[in-house]
Amino acid sequence: MSYTLRGRLETRLAAALAPLLAASALAAADAEWWPLKLAAVMIAVGVAFDLFAYHRLLPYQPGWLSVPLGLLELGAVMGLALALDLRAPFGAALAFFALSWLLAQVLVHAGLPLLRLSYAEDGGELGRVGPTVAAAALVVFAFAGGLAWATRPPTVHLAAGVHRGPIVLDHAVRLVGAPGAVVRGGIRITADDVVVRGVTVFGGENGIAVDDAERVLLDDVTIAGPVLDAINVRRASVRIHDCHIGPLTGRYAQGIDISFSIDRPPSEVKGCTITGGQEGIVSHSAMVHVEDNDVSGTSMRGITLTEMSMGSAEGNQVSDAVGVGIFCGDYSECEIEGNRVGRVRPDLASGDAFRLGFGIVAHYHALARLAENDTPSVRSFAQGRIERER
Amino acid sequence: MDESEGRVAIVGAGLAGFAAYATLRHGGIAAEEITVLGPTRDPVGVWRPRAAAIRQRFMRSESDGHCLPTSFPGLAVREALRRRSVLPLVRSACDRYHPTVEDFLDHVAKLRSRSGWDESFRAAKIRRVHAADCGFALDGHGPFRHVLLAPGHPGLAFPRELEEDPRAVHAYEPHDYADRVTVVGAGMAAATEWLNALAAGSSVVSVRRREPERRPLNVPRPLFTRRGLAAFHAEPAERRAALLRDWSAPSYPPGRVWDEPLDRAARRGRFRVEAELNGVEQVICATGFRRGFRESPLLARLVDDHNLETRASWIVLDPDATVPALTDRTRTLALAGVPGQWAFPAADTLVGMKYAAHGFLRRVVACRTR
Repeated sequence: MSYTLRGRLETRLAAALAPLLAASALAAADAEWWPLKLAAVMIAVGVAFDLFAYHRLLPYQPGWLSVPLGLLELGAVMGLALALDLRAPFGAALAFFALSWLLAQVLVHAGLPLLRLSYAEDGGELGRVGPTVAAAALVVFAFAGGLAWATRPPTVHLAAGVHRGPIVLDHAVRLVGAPGAVVRGGIRITADDVVVRGVTVFGGENGIAVDDAERVLLDDVTIAGPVLDAINVRRASVRIHDCHIGPLTGRYAQGIDISFSIDRPPSEVKGCTITGGQEGIVSHSAMVHVEDNDVSGTSMRGITLTEMSMGSAEGNQVSDAVGVGIFCGDYSECEIEGNRVGRVRPDLASGDAFRLGFGIVAHYHALARLAENDTPSVRSFAQGRIERER
Repeated sequence: MDESEGRVAIVGAGLAGFAAYATLRHGGIAAEEITVLGPTRDPVGVWRPRAAAIRQRFMRSESDGHCLPTSFPGLAVREALRRRSVLPLVRSACDRYHPTVEDFLDHVAKLRSRSGWDESFRAAKIRRVHAADCGFALDGHGPFRHVLLAPGHPGLAFPRELEEDPRAVHAYEPHDYADRVTVVGAGMAAATEWLNALAAGSSVVSVRRREPERRPLNVPRPLFTRRGLAAFHAEPAERRAALLRDWSAPSYPPGRVWDEPLDRAARRGRFRVEAELNGVEQVICATGFRRGFRESPLLARLVDDHNLETRASWIVLDPDATVPALTDRTRTLALAGVPGQWAFPAADTLVGMKYAAHGFLRRVVACRTR
């Protein structure tokens, strides 16, 4: 068909109406805003292509061109989704785009020509209905976007200075600390969609405890002096970025413990510096991705993935651990790649053969797949298995 | 006024009239509100023998080349469903689908039987349209508030020097092929005749005044939609007439289906191009139809009686194919088929016929007193 510019835009917005409504419904049902954001990006990309490329370059558009143009738009949408950090699951985003595209094809080739006799000869224009449909699409988007804006978590700014804790975050909130903001006595998170950013936590049984919550982000937090864990995560899914922990001096203190969360979406620990404590980063029965962290001076192990955990350790630096640098234990499956494990001191006092100062250990039916690690020694014990990538 | 004839009349019972009738019926106009006036009841009564004469097996038009009021489902979809194959759809998406003449005729027959066409038909040859206060009188029929004239092509065109030549036959008249055949013309019918004659074992000489253009359709594709039409409608009248003359130059589609048999025959000395007739025993005139409103007595009288604006051989029309001087909020006079080229350059195609029909329907529906 030879579209007019108005025809392209009206057809585009008419075809976007149903996906927008579906995205709004999905967003409302799951309290996830990515479908709406993705729909917005799809519309923006499509309209931009219409305005600046298609109208000029395609005076006539044969039917088959819908496929390569769809792939072009898919690439642009996915690229923008990544660049804008929409946090859209890849498979779901792909399915959403594909369904929207299919619906658009059905509408353009069947639905709209059936509804409007002169659709083809009008170059895709919808007549008097066109502006209404376009307005409806914009209204739906504005309404859903406004709703998203209105219901987004409130932001609480923590002023510089010491604040008495523990602070309990039991609803979606963004807690943002000013430089010098310190919470003494810990933070406890029990709600989804919580963000803690730029806060220093001192003391407390655990520095930050996350219980039964998802989509929690701990960004640029500094933790020192907890009795037990600097960050303790139970039945939850978190992203921990650029944290600073330690030095941990308590007898039972450890860095980050993410446990008993195998039924929750994967967690991520990235870019953290952890000094001291028994274990630097440990997961029990959880899915955790541990990347680009610096763990040093631990008295038991540097990084541990154990008790049927499924996870990965990539690009971490572990040094001055006692006994084991990176440990994959107890039926866990671990991808261990590109890590650098420095000096590991033997733990002679423990009497355990697997703690005699090894860089990477697979223990008790665990499977560790290794690639490009820089470590003095790799061992398996108690039917643990090591597989090396060739 | 004969109330039994309704308020709407279609003059011409060929494909353009038939497409308009189907569109009006789809738009909610009852069969008893419409009168179709024409010499023969069969909407393909003229077209079928012409297609048969040139042994046409496939339509030049694509999936949208049908008489149904909506472009979907087109003939490709129907064939895909019937054959349970996606191939027609794939070919349609690539602009490579051309329905067979047989499928087209079958679709016309089915649409005719369910549309009420035969009930609305009145056998009559209309010679004059007379504008009255409340519409138009048509040789004792009517008056009708809304009239669509679809008189079809005004007749076959013969080169003047061949009009009395006993060797000459028009491509659209029944004929066989002699051993040596000259085909005059360079359009779609001529190209079809080259291949027909070669397939029949003849040697072919193509006599042409100019080299044919190679276009998939009669006119560039943007001219089938508002995108190209808006620019065409905005042109000054002289330029518009010049463009119509350019687009009416002979053309046929590109592709190996045409080129390979001609190349093969040329290598074997069975096909060549010449500028003059050379005394062969059969001359096939693939020279199309007579052109211009003056060739149609009905249209010529319409122009003269009502002093309508014309430009070169075209009646000046509004973009919706209505005659501006005779159309207002209470009555409509529209032209469909080849006389509607001023509004839609490809007016003699099925898509063009429906373009005029859509505009006519809008006028009829918008008229409160229809």
